[in-house]
Amino acid sequence: MKFGIFYEISVPRPWTPGREKQVYDNCIEQVKLADELGFDQVWCVEHHFLEEYSHSPAPELFLTACAMVTERIRVGHGIIVCVPEFNHLIKVAERTAVLDILSGGRLEVGTGRSATWTELAGFGADPDETKKTWDEYVRVLPKMWTNERFGYNGRAVSFPERAIIPKPLQQPHPPMWVAVTSPGTELDAADRGLGSLGLTFGGFAEQEKKVKEYRRRIQLCDPVGDFVNEQVNTVNFLYCHEDVKQGGATGQRLAGTFNYMASQLLAAREAYPTRSYPSLGLLPAVRQEAEGPGDANGLPEGLAIGDPDRIIEVIKRWEGVGVDRINFLLNAAETVPQQEVLDSMRLFAAEVMPAFADSTEKVVA
Amino acid sequence: MPLFGSRDVSSLLDGAPTMPDLQTDSLTIERVEILHVRYEIRSAPMLEMLPAALHPTIPPTLSVWGMKVRGSDIDDFTLAQVCIGCRAGVRPRGFLLSCFNDNDASAKDLAARWGFRQDAGTPKLDVAHHRTQLTVERDGKTILDIGLVSPEAISGNDVQYVANMNLAHTPSGPRLVQVDPEFVFHKADRGKPYVEVFDAEELGDDRIVLSWPVAASFTVADVTLPKLRYTCKVDVPAMAGTETVA
Repeated sequence: MKFGIFYEISVPRPWTPGREKQVYDNCIEQVKLADELGFDQVWCVEHHFLEEYSHSPAPELFLTACAMVTERIRVGHGIIVCVPEFNHLIKVAERTAVLDILSGGRLEVGTGRSATWTELAGFGADPDETKKTWDEYVRVLPKMWTNERFGYNGRAVSFPERAIIPKPLQQPHPPMWVAVTSPGTELDAADRGLGSLGLTFGGFAEQEKKVKEYRRRIQLCDPVGDFVNEQVNTVNFLYCHEDVKQGGATGQRLAGTFNYMASQLLAAREAYPTRSYPSLGLLPAVRQEAEGPGDANGLPEGLAIGDPDRIIEVIKRWEGVGVDRINFLLNAAETVPQQEVLDSMRLFAAEVMPAFADSTEKVVA
Repeated sequence: MPLFGSRDVSSLLDGAPTMPDLQTDSLTIERVEILHVRYEIRSAPMLEMLPAALHPTIPPTLSVWGMKVRGSDIDDFTLAQVCIGCRAGVRPRGFLLSCFNDNDASAKDLAARWGFRQDAGTPKLDVAHHRTQLTVERDGKTILDIGLVSPEAISGNDVQYVANMNLAHTPSGPRLVQVDPEFVFHKADRGKPYVEVFDAEELGDDRIVLSWPVAASFTVADVTLPKLRYTCKVDVPAMAGTETVA
């Protein structure tokens, strides 16, 4: 089991001058600490126009800054919206290669397609097309990274043969993932040999079933890249405190704030009738977890909140259903004071990480 | 936290229906023809168009519905309604601004049992293979002409309608009444929305400016208007002001 952190970069109103900088600074400070504590990955989303929920339209810049102030933590660019109106395929290949070089070969590439009307309409993208363009992108990207020159005549994008440079530092190329939110996308991931960058959708039993099917299908895959990235990565909330009640209460406040903000988004499916978006996306799934049946402490069973003992128990269960990595959301709309976030990370590293043998190379108490 | 509405609802309360009680039995109406057109609207006045109980959607949206009932167990009627997209707490909802019904008895029934407004005007839903058109006329003047063109078949599973929040006088005082119909689809089309006439003032709020087309759908569905389960105070956030119908 490996642990990472995950950023939406939510900025609460009022948006006074310097407010966004303060939130970005807090995130960078957390990333630096995560690197010292032995967290394995930092992921950052790409979102546009999602007021308060996510002020993160340029994750490659944020991750470059992270890479410049850290030594080991891997930087997860994800998900990159694989829709030409958002990101031209060539630009994706180029900027990921640069980020891989600048980070010293620490890049993970997450792919996806956006799930809100707010973003899709903002860029003039057709919701019916996004799954198709995503599929085209993930098949072509590895070829752009690994061929000296490459030309492509496709459905969404075409271009003559060019030297797409630079090339990634990692050989043959960085690991690739796909965000799994809509039902069945975990199978898309498996069939293409991609890592499953999923959520804690449903309960443990449902997740176990999906992971098992992913593991089975990926054995038979036709990989789009030069290697198969068989890994299951999930998202969770983290708030760790010596006192289970206080940890649980703050953790539930964090989860509740995130879910409340997420529910305000205008999902593609809500606005635009299309079979391309069979679900509302990640948000109801996360909410389902947060509002699910409580354990003996009255806390939602799948969430990593409470004291170290409870969090170990929760993570052991996720490990038991086949999850390889968990990325933690540490804050939402700055509802948890920065010092408490840092203290939670330190306690997690000191008390929880050692319970998972391969979770860390170095733990600082 | 998300933004909240700031509307003074007194002007809407003047025309809001009175519900003698909230003990409404459900009603299923078969094979209702439904046009649903959604536009984005200008964001500047979005807070002033919703009561304090509700959050605006980002971007703010407006839904126009046309419903035609023919040959069911109840009297035929055609209904048009205009709703502003919103959230009641975490739930997607539409705040009812105006509602028109060409059958007075039906309008009175819908008002008393589910809190649908009865605004003056005559709706007409004209369904053709190449387009569906909804109009509302008042005093010889067209105040709404909106619709769908270039229909293409989709699945009913691809359509998502949201529940209404209908402002009404209830025995507990002014309340937003949640009306969450169930739909069983027989047919569904999606098409391009168009608008020829949208008289914002006559349709409930002169601050509305349609700014961007989103989508239009036409469906045929069995619609079950439900027993009422929740109401909501108008002037406090829905998370705090939601009440269960006993």
